[in-house]
Amino acid sequence: MDTQNSAVYQVVSALLEDLPRERAQLLPALWRVAESEGYLSQDAMEAVSKILGVPSAEVFGVASFYSLFEGEEGRVPVYICTDVMCALQGAQNLKDAAEKSAVNRPIAVKESACLGQCDHAPAAWIGGKVLRRASPEEVKTAVTEVRHD
Amino acid sequence: MTEIRRLLPETGIMSGPTSVERLTERGFERAMARAMLMTPSDIIAEVSQSGIKGRGGAAFPTGLKWSMVSQAPGAQKYVVMNADESELGTFKDRVLLEQDPLGPLSGLVIAAHAVGARKAFCYIRGEYREVEQVLAAAIETLRRVGLVGPDTVEVEIRRGAGAYIAGEETALFNSIEGMRPEPRVKPPFPTNKGLWGSPTLIQNVETLANVAVLFAHDVEWFKAYGTKDTPGTKLVALSGHIHRPGVYEVPFGTPVADILNAPELGGSVAGTGRLGAVLLGGAAGTFLNAAEVQNTLLDYPSLSKVGASIGSGAMMVFDDTVDLTWVLTKMARFFAEESCGQCVPCRIGTRRILEIAESGNLWSRTQDLRELGQAMRDASICGLGQTAPLALLSALDRPELRHHD
Repeated sequence: MDTQNSAVYQVVSALLEDLPRERAQLLPALWRVAESEGYLSQDAMEAVSKILGVPSAEVFGVASFYSLFEGEEGRVPVYICTDVMCALQGAQNLKDAAEKSAVNRPIAVKESACLGQCDHAPAAWIGGKVLRRASPEEVKTAVTEVRHD
Repeated sequence: MTEIRRLLPETGIMSGPTSVERLTERGFERAMARAMLMTPSDIIAEVSQSGIKGRGGAAFPTGLKWSMVSQAPGAQKYVVMNADESELGTFKDRVLLEQDPLGPLSGLVIAAHAVGARKAFCYIRGEYREVEQVLAAAIETLRRVGLVGPDTVEVEIRRGAGAYIAGEETALFNSIEGMRPEPRVKPPFPTNKGLWGSPTLIQNVETLANVAVLFAHDVEWFKAYGTKDTPGTKLVALSGHIHRPGVYEVPFGTPVADILNAPELGGSVAGTGRLGAVLLGGAAGTFLNAAEVQNTLLDYPSLSKVGASIGSGAMMVFDDTVDLTWVLTKMARFFAEESCGQCVPCRIGTRRILEIAESGNLWSRTQDLRELGQAMRDASICGLGQTAPLALLSALDRPELRHHD
């Protein structure tokens, strides 16, 4: 890719403008890009690699380790906790509700390991907000309200 | 049996969790002022005398850890608050940070002063985004009153991104350094070589909160609760088939049955009302049967008699209808997915356990599972692989827990 001139490079470069150019900023850098763009594209990771001076294979190696960076282009992830405590309290119903309302929407329903909300099971994590003691209805509403611009 | 509130703020406290008033009201301002006037070695001596042990699960004596970091050679030192709480059934650090973030942060500031660190990190799991905002506001408050900053200690939040293993201390360092969060081989231990090879003090959120309340008072006050072996209080996280799920603070030595049944605490078993089992300490914890729950205290010597430990303080309650084979299979899948894969015993071992669980042979291939578990405990490089078989093995040791349809 002709990095320095590509649109993606410009976007990433602006996002990382005030970050020190060092390896230790890789995770914060990936977060900034993922939050702004909704996911980490190959080109965006190339740009991060160039800007921070970290080999692109290592940028990919780090990014691909983390499940919260598994977003895909044009599909916003929503998380339903299906771990033991939430499963005991009806997580499957939440997942079904989320999947139903995600049909024909740019949304990816993902199962999450323990979200640390077991005192409020079942829980979901949608649009950056935790839903506690969630009902299928609430999940449905939250999924339809997810921003995907 | 009443709940103690020391680490958790008193109910009805009026000041906001991140306000300057809270610092005064909870005594944290006093705690930090007192510690700043003490020499590092006096601080460490007081932490040692208090008998505080690490609350993340390993129960390592906190004062000893501080003195190791303090004495380790190196001009640059770091302190880290581990808020990457991701253990199954564990949510005490979340509640503590939501309700009283200035406590753990005050402990962090005192720790930095004691070991001579000018830079601190708070590593928090990415799923705790809302808690992270509370933490950031609390750090801002400390900055405003001059307790955090270039002249004292700089505190930076690092957000994880969904990797259970990143909570392992050396994996967490790699994560902060911008590497894959794979655990390092120990030794060297973090006290000597942690972040960027420098001596690093890493503590759980709750441990640091203990430090804050200790310095807000004194050793005698601190030891008024708890046992001789383990002074102080512990946060327990109750979930599952229990009437009052939540985080409660109890003295060490409290009967486990009281934690479940006292009206002010768990309020008794829900579901069918008949206790099947309690999984104590998270996915790497121990299953206790109903008789063991009746006969044990929340303390290390008492629990070690039944092969258990307190771990993170998670208590997952199952009534007598829950098929533990289902629970064990779910946990096996979790470990197989979260194994970082760099060492063979864990990468292959967690897979083999999952295969045996999914093929329905958990209770018939006990000898194979025990041998596999032993190999994982002996040869895995980090706590994940070493402890992944523990809950399973504890269930196999209690065949009465097997569910028969």
